[in-house]
Amino acid sequence: MSTLSAADEAHLKAQLQDAVTSCTERCLFHSAKWAAELLNSLPTADDDDGSDTDVDSPMSEAHLPQTPANHIHKDAIELRLEAREVNKFLLAKTYFDSREFDRCAAVFLPSSLPKGSNNPITSPAAKSKHAEKGKAKAGTASKAKDAIDSVRGLSQKSLFLALYARYIAGEKRMNEDSEMILGPQDGGVTLNKELPGVSAILEEWFSGLPTSGRQPQGWLEYLYGIVLAKGKNEKLAMDYFVRSVQQYSYNWGAWSEMSNLLGTVEELNQLIPRLPQNLMRFIFVVSANQDLYQSTEQVHTSLTQILNFFPNSAFLKTQRALLHYHTKDFDEAEQIFSDLLKTDPHRIDSLDNYSNILYVMGMRAKLAFVAQLATTTDKFRPETCCVVGNYYSLKSEHEKAVMYFRRALTLDRNFLSAWTLMGHEFVEMKNTHAAIESYRRAVDVNRKDYRAWYGLGQTYEVLEMHSYALFYHQRAAALRPYDPKLWMAVGQCFGKVNKVNNGIRAYKRALVAGSYYDAGVGSSFGSGEMSGLGGGILDPDVLYQIALLYERLQDMPESAAYMELVLAQEEGPDFEDGEVGGGLGVTPTTSKARLWLARWEYMRGMYQRAMELANELCQDGVEVEDAKALVRDIRARIEREKGEART
Amino acid sequence: MTLPRYLTAQKISLLVLVDLYCNSVLPSSATIPVLSFILSHSISPVSSNARPRSPGYGDASFSIEAFEHVLQNHASSMPGRTLLDVFLKHMWEMNSFDALHQLFDNIGDLLLKTREDGGQEFTPEEFQDRVLLSKTSPLGVFVRRARLEFTRLQFDDTMKLWSTFIAYRAPTAQWTKRLAGLASSGADIVAADMGLRPGEALYEVAYGHLAQEMEDGIEISIDDFDRLLEFQLEKLQRLGCRVPDDMRTQLGSMLGSSGVILRQSHLVKFFDAWKAGDYTSAFDNLHRYYDYAMQTREKIHYQYALLHMAILQADFGCFGEAIAAINETIATARENQDMTCLNFSLSWLNHMSKAYPKQMKGVGYMGMLGSERDGLTFLKAKAKEAKMYNLLSATLLNEAKLCLGTGDSISRAFEYMYQGSHLNIKENINNQGSQMLLLSTLYSRLGITHLSSVHNELLLHCYERGCPIDERIRASCRCALTATRYGRYDEGLHLLEMIDVSTHRSLRFHQYLFLCTTLIKLRRSICRTDWAACESYLSSLIPDSSTDPEISFALSEAHIEYLIARGYYTEAFDAIEKLSVSLKEESGDILQRVLMLLAKAELFGKVGKPERGFSIALRAASVSFKARLMPCLWSAAGLLASILNSIGEFEAATRLLHAVIPQSLENTDYVLTGTLYSHIGDSYIGLAGLDDASTSHGARLRAMNMSQAEMYIDRARECFKRTESIDGECEQLMKKAVIAKLRGDEKLAEEWAQNHERVWNEGKERILIREESK
Repeated sequence: MSTLSAADEAHLKAQLQDAVTSCTERCLFHSAKWAAELLNSLPTADDDDGSDTDVDSPMSEAHLPQTPANHIHKDAIELRLEAREVNKFLLAKTYFDSREFDRCAAVFLPSSLPKGSNNPITSPAAKSKHAEKGKAKAGTASKAKDAIDSVRGLSQKSLFLALYARYIAGEKRMNEDSEMILGPQDGGVTLNKELPGVSAILEEWFSGLPTSGRQPQGWLEYLYGIVLAKGKNEKLAMDYFVRSVQQYSYNWGAWSEMSNLLGTVEELNQLIPRLPQNLMRFIFVVSANQDLYQSTEQVHTSLTQILNFFPNSAFLKTQRALLHYHTKDFDEAEQIFSDLLKTDPHRIDSLDNYSNILYVMGMRAKLAFVAQLATTTDKFRPETCCVVGNYYSLKSEHEKAVMYFRRALTLDRNFLSAWTLMGHEFVEMKNTHAAIESYRRAVDVNRKDYRAWYGLGQTYEVLEMHSYALFYHQRAAALRPYDPKLWMAVGQCFGKVNKVNNGIRAYKRALVAGSYYDAGVGSSFGSGEMSGLGGGILDPDVLYQIALLYERLQDMPESAAYMELVLAQEEGPDFEDGEVGGGLGVTPTTSKARLWLARWEYMRGMYQRAMELANELCQDGVEVEDAKALVRDIRARIEREKGEART
Repeated sequence: MTLPRYLTAQKISLLVLVDLYCNSVLPSSATIPVLSFILSHSISPVSSNARPRSPGYGDASFSIEAFEHVLQNHASSMPGRTLLDVFLKHMWEMNSFDALHQLFDNIGDLLLKTREDGGQEFTPEEFQDRVLLSKTSPLGVFVRRARLEFTRLQFDDTMKLWSTFIAYRAPTAQWTKRLAGLASSGADIVAADMGLRPGEALYEVAYGHLAQEMEDGIEISIDDFDRLLEFQLEKLQRLGCRVPDDMRTQLGSMLGSSGVILRQSHLVKFFDAWKAGDYTSAFDNLHRYYDYAMQTREKIHYQYALLHMAILQADFGCFGEAIAAINETIATARENQDMTCLNFSLSWLNHMSKAYPKQMKGVGYMGMLGSERDGLTFLKAKAKEAKMYNLLSATLLNEAKLCLGTGDSISRAFEYMYQGSHLNIKENINNQGSQMLLLSTLYSRLGITHLSSVHNELLLHCYERGCPIDERIRASCRCALTATRYGRYDEGLHLLEMIDVSTHRSLRFHQYLFLCTTLIKLRRSICRTDWAACESYLSSLIPDSSTDPEISFALSEAHIEYLIARGYYTEAFDAIEKLSVSLKEESGDILQRVLMLLAKAELFGKVGKPERGFSIALRAASVSFKARLMPCLWSAAGLLASILNSIGEFEAATRLLHAVIPQSLENTDYVLTGTLYSHIGDSYIGLAGLDDASTSHGARLRAMNMSQAEMYIDRARECFKRTESIDGECEQLMKKAVIAKLRGDEKLAEEWAQNHERVWNEGKERILIREESK
């Protein structure tokens, strides 16, 4: 399936065009944007061939299904209802566009909605409105008395818009109630007060669905899914999202909500069979895998396949870049982002990820340039603020960085990376409590953010609360099982809480993970001290830690063996023929290991070996005082032994 | 486009230069020019009273060429390169937005670390190859301020700064060949690395606005703008001038385009409107300014607002409102314990009651500090206590003035003046203007005209820059009036015309100058007996529009002079009486009262009853002797002599006049001297009449006296001729003719009579010509 057939492509285009109009009509602007971007990322050359001068060309069919595309989804009832409501709908739509959400909702919904329970209060206005509807619907509906029934007389499109406006109004109010970021009112527990009402109506609607003879369109399912997800009813929410995408696949919002609900790869794999078989599923699978930090060959290949269809899709390219980012292939990711920037200079989406990459790579000038670009385009986008915050963070101006992350969050409270990054800044500023809260909020927004988990763990470590920290490190490690740093952190915590065996296991896991990324085990976000370990070389720090843990278990031979291993990393593995560059050379860790070994040999009475090691230490110029003292001791012992031997 | 707060592209360039200087790549010959260049642009200059500012000093929006002028003539330590090359290299090495941040990060290293910073002390070796700036040094302050302001900048403001900097630097790209390579990569190395060229979409997003901004022209920071307004304010407040027109349009365009409204600008507008005589808008702007000031600061500004309002009201002649306002100022200042404001208000009130006694009494001001002398003593004590040397100096001058006005001892007045002068010099108080003016008055009262005019000129030549315009105009007018007394009317008028037109732009000064000019012209017309002209001048003068007491007295005096000259003796007498009564009521200046006495005595002489003026003249003489009002004393002596003449005491009159004339000659007042000469001539004629012509000795004496009289009459004629006084000259010619006739020399008499006729006709012709020329 390397290329699409002409008919398929025409169909796809029609679908996407329909998706853009449908989403726009329902004020799902992001989904509309996404679909439109995808639509325009199809290869353009074909379009030129199919110019309307050449009527007979097969491509001309591509234009045909544009208008009647709706018939795929629209059944007659809905069309009739929509036709009746068209004026009101236009009114509601304009209200929504001018951000008057309550007014928009009031166009279709009775002014008082049931709050949470099935105890609707019907206002006179609603009655009269209902009366109209009743007449309009003639025989199909009985004269129902309550508001929910009045809703039943609406087309799904209008109902969606009204309820969505209601929901958005609630979100807006919720943000307003939360006041300042990290202020006293901003505990992350403020609820959207419209949720129960919206939920009740939808519940009622769906319960009446089988009997009403209406065909579901997928949009209301999507909205209900969102509402359920907000109410932490995730299983049901997932069901509704699946239903939604089955009814209507081209609503990217539904897919991305679904992806947010996924916690593990297993869940994803369980989900896949339930999804409709189409292109959107492909894209979803790739992006969900990316979200779950799964950058396997398989994901890359499927991404490549999709990119064949949409060679210009910025979204897909971003996915590719993020995949590279997850595998710490920063150069590649940077290159992709840089190209993206050139092709679409005004695009700010996911520039925050780009800035993370530049941050890790330490490219200050470029980061400044990107920040400059983003700010020129729009300085009040959360992404822009994140880029600027990252720049200040790189310059160690943490106060300013926090200011910009705060601004990002004020613009969008659910902006994940800003929470995490702000947590990092608070750690730098030694404000552990604020850091913990920031990380916590990040985790609440998205449980898959391992950096936030790791940050939480580290912060608790700073506070000397190791068993707490252990929990968070384990969460982080679970999200990224192949990141040695996380395992090291786990091991360290185990060591601190005296679960030495578990600690050793964790460290060994870190060793395994370290050798897994043969492309170069770099740092994860936030620290850059251990980069550029060649393949086959084990991290001496980990080895040293393991040795120390064995020492605590009184397993001296094992400990000594690991210390030797640490020393061995200086030369590099013997079994490879030098091409790796022969090890690390002398580092503080290896020196410590050497000192330990020297002492151990001395204790065992292997003076000769101890002497050698101590002399090496003196040569390396590390821990010279200790080494010299040791040498003196050894000499004394040797002398005495000689003397004893003589006598 | 909003203005940047402090940092501009110019300041960044200066920082680059500071960096260059501190890292010691400067040859020692360039140190002083470079340093003075940096300082002149980074620190607001200390105002100097005497010296004018050098042009271009403190000009905030200087272009990059300014650097070229300073730097290109100095070789750098690298052979073959000028300092300009090195500087531009540094400028262009800032090749990315990040590099700008870097500059500000690194510039902090130039500051000397102290122990409190936790930084380690520098070892002496490190001192050798670089200059470290102390935190409190001028450059250190500049660097610190720049860093602080940079930290305060929001990210997008930093971006704006960066793009203005690029635009600012852009013209230098082609200056040297060496630079071309460096500059070819464009403004931003990152963009260049990404392979971007101008015109590409991404480049346009980042730097597309540059081209447009470069056309916008000058950029200036709010700080610079503040300084600009501060300067204008200082000029307005201290000198009392107006904002020049071109400057005003420039300021207006700056303010308009920036969108920021600075509070200071309202104050500038207020002063400008005030000086322009636009009462309503001045009032409006004053209120507006303090409304905005209230918003940012405490209530402490209230008393200053009131003070300004009081001065404004008084300036526009609304004394009632002014008194109400100043009373509230004093109350508020007392409440807030603001001694400065309180003392200043009291001093001002004191000054007002002195300057406008009539008006102040009219609105019911009774004096707050008891008698005037008590008031001054109180103010002096307060000023000393609060160390307000400015006020102290002003008070001392006032005391000196009071001494003069009441006719107290001159030496005490001098003492006060010298105390004030000492203070001015010691505390650098800019009070020299009034000091000079007072000294000049003092000397003119003492009859030392020369010293008086020297002081006026001193003021005009040396302190012109630092003096309020008010005082400058006063000094010029005094010079002009002095010239009039020499009879050099044209010179006097020329002096007045010479005054810069821009000063006329204030209503008050315009009026003042107008009055002075008309006064001089009136005097000349009186002398020329050009009555028509006199009347027209008087009609424009007499509804006394001046609020300046000095001028209004001079006007009344001229009016009386006119009436006497014209022969309207009754009116003249009435006018004199009225003026002297009002002077007495106000306890006016002793000089003016003596002048009135003299005028009265002269009037009696004119109506042919000089004896009746005897006691008056005597009193005038004794008072002026006591108060050392020498010119008055001399004219009193002259009057006495004429009275003596009239009662036949020629001998005594001659002796009196002989004693006075030499001093009067020194005074070079030709009118006075001419009068005195004419009197002495009369006396000699009288003496000749007494001589017994029958004896040979008597005949010889008579001939001698006659020739003496003729000599003095000639001299008098000279004097009158100089002052263009036709009446005086003709009188002398007539006397000559009479003498000739008495001698029996008919022919000579005829000649003198013809002479008289000629002079008279010439005078009349002159008037005719003037009228025709109109």
